[in-house]
Amino acid sequence: MLREMGGIENRVYRAYWNDGLLDVFAAVGVLLIGIAWTFDFVVGGAITPALLVPIWGPFRQRFIEPRLGMVEFSEKRERTNRGRLLLVILLGIGAFALVVSLYVLRDRLALDPAVSVIAGLPALLLAIPAALTAMLVSTSRFLVYAALLIIAGGVGAISGLEPGPILVSAGVPILLIASTVLLRFLRNNPVANEDFE
Amino acid sequence: MSNSMAIELPPIDDLLHEPARLRLLVFLSVVKRTDFTYLLKLSGMSKGNLSVQMNKLGDAEMVRIDKSFQGNRPRTMYELTTQGRKALRAYKKNMETILAALPG
Repeated sequence: MLREMGGIENRVYRAYWNDGLLDVFAAVGVLLIGIAWTFDFVVGGAITPALLVPIWGPFRQRFIEPRLGMVEFSEKRERTNRGRLLLVILLGIGAFALVVSLYVLRDRLALDPAVSVIAGLPALLLAIPAALTAMLVSTSRFLVYAALLIIAGGVGAISGLEPGPILVSAGVPILLIASTVLLRFLRNNPVANEDFE
Repeated sequence: MSNSMAIELPPIDDLLHEPARLRLLVFLSVVKRTDFTYLLKLSGMSKGNLSVQMNKLGDAEMVRIDKSFQGNRPRTMYELTTQGRKALRAYKKNMETILAALPG
């Protein structure tokens, strides 16, 4: 019923993700993976998502919900999102595992001519979950982040940079954009209360 | 006294046929449930107006109102009832019938 309302539902859904908190978490994730990789602590990069995902919910509840409010979407939307989220997570894990394997095994695989290309792969592959997140939360900002990761990966690989600095160079502009979005949201949306009733 | 010339049009529910309430019901029809603050942001209405309109819809049992506390903050959740969903569907059907009869 009310099929024509799909457009309104999409707008209501998009409004839910316009605060910038998810963006900041994504940027911090990219930066932490890059920093960990820079210091040859590749495992640190692998556990970064596991550290960030559980604290996103409480952060949202503490800082965003008092300003934006709370909404539960329809069962259909939730089902679609669960499927997409699973896809994003699996692709993210798969991409990361592939890159770590290639990087760790690069000498044994005698991939010397391709080493510089491999250095850009982590950023290139992280662009996949970023693009999928754009689809998941219906916001084009994540397509910009995916583009930044692709550019950093390509330019960094050609310039002979290591994976860590490449990821950091992508993470910094993403964090700047994300922080701007979040700060604007916090400034424009003071904590609301219902105590007028 | 009945007028034999009177032409019947599909009934229009006055409660729904008010722009602010209709807007709120449309928002509620596309989500499972939402709270006062989110509706406030979506509708752009004042707190007082939103509260009045939601209470009217609650009194008519179109919307289920659930008041609680989250920490020390009051939170009011709203959910379209089955009755509200049926009324919205009937409203849409009747309005379509009327609008389809309009020329040009």
